Amino acid sequence: MATTILLVLGLSASTTACGGGDPESLTVYSGRSEKLIGPILEAFTADTGIVLDVRYGSSNDLALLLAEEGDKSPADVFLSRSPGPAGFLDDLGMLAGIDDDILDRVADGDHSPDGTWVGFAGRGRVLVYNIDEVDAADLPDSVFDLTGPEYQGRVAVPGSNSSFQDWFTLFRLRNGDDVAIAWLDDMVANGSRFYPKNGAIVEAVGRNEIQFGLVNHYYNFQKVAANGDAQRSANHGFAHGDDGGLMIIATAAVIDSSEEKDAANKLLAHLLSDEQQTYLTDKVYEYPLALGVESADVLPPAPTDRVGAVDIDDLAAEFRRTMEIIEASGVLDQ
Amino acid sequence: MADRRRIRLWPHRVMTANATDAPRTGVVGHRAGVRRPPRTLTAAAVVTAALFALPGGYVVWRVMGGSASPLALLASRGTLEPLWRTIQLAALVSASTAVLGTGLAWLTTRTDIPMRRLWRIVVPLPLVYPSFVGAAAFISGLAPGGIVHDLIGYLGVDLTTRLHGLTGSWLVLTLFTYPYVYLPVAARLTALPGAFEENARLLGDGPRRVFARVVLPQIWSSIAAGSLLVFLYTVSDFGAVHLMRFETLTQTIFRTRLFDRDRSFTMALLLLVLALLVVAAERTVSRSGRRRGAGLDTVGDRRSLTVPLGRWTTPALAATSSVVGLALVAPAVSLADWGLFGFLRARQGGMPLRLDWHDVLGPTWNTVWISVLTALVATVVVLPVAYLVTRHRSRLGEVVNAVVVAGFAIPGLVVALSMIFWTMHASPFEFLIGSMPVLVFAYVVHFGAQAMRTAQVAVGTVPRRMDDAARLLGAGRLRRLATVDLPLMAPGLAAGAGLVMLSTMKELPATLLASPIGFRTLSTQIWNTYEALFLPEMAILAMVLLCISAVLTWLLVVRQSEHLR
Repeated sequence: MATTILLVLGLSASTTACGGGDPESLTVYSGRSEKLIGPILEAFTADTGIVLDVRYGSSNDLALLLAEEGDKSPADVFLSRSPGPAGFLDDLGMLAGIDDDILDRVADGDHSPDGTWVGFAGRGRVLVYNIDEVDAADLPDSVFDLTGPEYQGRVAVPGSNSSFQDWFTLFRLRNGDDVAIAWLDDMVANGSRFYPKNGAIVEAVGRNEIQFGLVNHYYNFQKVAANGDAQRSANHGFAHGDDGGLMIIATAAVIDSSEEKDAANKLLAHLLSDEQQTYLTDKVYEYPLALGVESADVLPPAPTDRVGAVDIDDLAAEFRRTMEIIEASGVLDQ
Repeated sequence: MADRRRIRLWPHRVMTANATDAPRTGVVGHRAGVRRPPRTLTAAAVVTAALFALPGGYVVWRVMGGSASPLALLASRGTLEPLWRTIQLAALVSASTAVLGTGLAWLTTRTDIPMRRLWRIVVPLPLVYPSFVGAAAFISGLAPGGIVHDLIGYLGVDLTTRLHGLTGSWLVLTLFTYPYVYLPVAARLTALPGAFEENARLLGDGPRRVFARVVLPQIWSSIAAGSLLVFLYTVSDFGAVHLMRFETLTQTIFRTRLFDRDRSFTMALLLLVLALLVVAAERTVSRSGRRRGAGLDTVGDRRSLTVPLGRWTTPALAATSSVVGLALVAPAVSLADWGLFGFLRARQGGMPLRLDWHDVLGPTWNTVWISVLTALVATVVVLPVAYLVTRHRSRLGEVVNAVVVAGFAIPGLVVALSMIFWTMHASPFEFLIGSMPVLVFAYVVHFGAQAMRTAQVAVGTVPRRMDDAARLLGAGRLRRLATVDLPLMAPGLAAGAGLVMLSTMKELPATLLASPIGFRTLSTQIWNTYEALFLPEMAILAMVLLCISAVLTWLLVVRQSEHLR
């Protein structure tokens, strides 16, 4: 009985779909905020006439929702703030391969090795500091410097934040667990303080509650754009190639159960078009990932390392290990 | 003199009355007059239990299907520490809200405190701040550079303490959850006749003595009911403890939800077990409370007593103002500060406000109708169970009650995912996915507990002898419900419905995940702007939420209890 209903629904859906090339609408699950990405999605509808039904939410929650919905999910496209949630769905076999010409729009490290997700915007990991308390000349070159006595009790660490965990996972894979654990333990011993979110850190640094913080670059730009000179904080990028700098990339993926994969790929191509990439960097202060599109002048040089660039066999296991180490370090109790 | 002693000893008198002349006085607490529940009532309760058990069933299913051993996970240090922190925090918050909520309820219903009407509208409102908004506004207002900090600074007080951890979480949660106690207790006080208190007063007892000897025993079960809700809310809260950097069980559930699902679900199961234990404990406490004298007649002389505060007027006013000041005004001032900053910024040629009427009007209307609808449905759904437990003292009713109430401890995210899971696995209902009924259903399952305990107290306030009289006069069951029971239960039911309404207005994870795509409420819009760090826009939306919740609280809750007078 249920199967029959499903068949009938499926048939009617596919007949309307076959009718005129493009479907009337696509369903998007977006872990990027509407305030940031809404205009880009509206431009897609204006260009193609395809209406987008968007469910906004946190990337992790939407990934869990997709996992529960399985192959009955109405979603065609999933936009995530970092590669983690996309990797989680990839492990479940829920993502479809993306067209090669779209993957070719970005550098090799900016899409997953098997071509199931593609990055479309980057945020750099930086050190935010209070400009009244800290002399720019004294800023550190390396994230390893932060364990020194001059930083005692002055650095905020967002231990439970997913961007921080993305960064720490790569940090660990590049330096080995021993070095990574020693660094985190030293940070804890040095009195670094735990904050739950990047935004909370930029706020706290701006009001001199704490002097430094490990965050994504984007938050300070938003605060400065909104508050002007009243915002007493600035970003500092670590030296080129230092482990402290890393690009966290926002990713787009096509859901394998989608019946509108062509249109879904069109949306991905739209996200990576020169026009939308320029909008992203000029208006949203993120790094463009499409080859040939320049970052906005105000942004510091883009970090070279990407989370997605490392081929991680078992993403979930690596993230679990990251969480174990972070928990064991005691940084969450600081 | 002899009379006076009798009054003082009345709780004992009621206990003896239970044994001897119970049928005549109609005091609840005797088995002789308890009738077997009608079959329809039992059937309705069983269905309710099955529906409310869905989120818990989902958690159990996931734990059993996981690859890790739940027992090994439970015994680890990473489990026990958050569990201990959760219990500590929930117990502290329950205790402080019990005192605060009861005190405020007594002041605003039983005394001549100035501006009583105003207090009765604003005192319940802190409940409507979404936890993360309230905590964020609170933190930034009190921090150096924050508006509250600066204002207090002018008075010569330097606030240098940084709120975080257990203290910070305790303070913020106390201020934002005391309405769970305040609303049911105020409703109970409104429904109680002042005759006992008046007699005690005439016979020479001071207000404090009257409160301890006469009032407290009668409102005991309402206090227990409210504190239980506070406990369960604290256990399930994510926003405030997250911002206060206090790692509770719910934090662990959220942190591990994607990459360590076994652990996440095991923690959720642990939370559920904790909730069931607490619910059972509360039932025991409130049953003993009932034996001590609740369930007295609430009809008859309805003029309730007003205690003149006299020289206590100023301290009482100061206490009430400071609670409302901290819980409602301080965050509102921070919000107004952010909102104004955005307006000024736009006026002076800075970044314009990224908010238009379209962002406000539609979501406001959606928030209003869905929260009122949810409150109504929740109240109707829990009523049969409330009858079963209170009127028929049924064991089955107790089980259903535990299922409904304990479910409140399950975080909203898990409730939403369970709804998706079950609609996916119940093929005939698959078409409902992403539809409005599923959303309302998710809300009702999540918040039904809030209506449940207040509904039980409300049912308990209807004297059996009135119902019996109506039956003798030939009134049918529905007629008795409509003409005898409902009017008497109205204040209690309205208080419960008000709690559900305020909670629904601010609910986030279920609204984001289980709503029809594109359905926006004020809370989704607030979250959206907060995620993008657009604080002025968030502040304006939060103030709109605050205003409409004030209007609805007045229309639906406060007036409801006043029409009786």
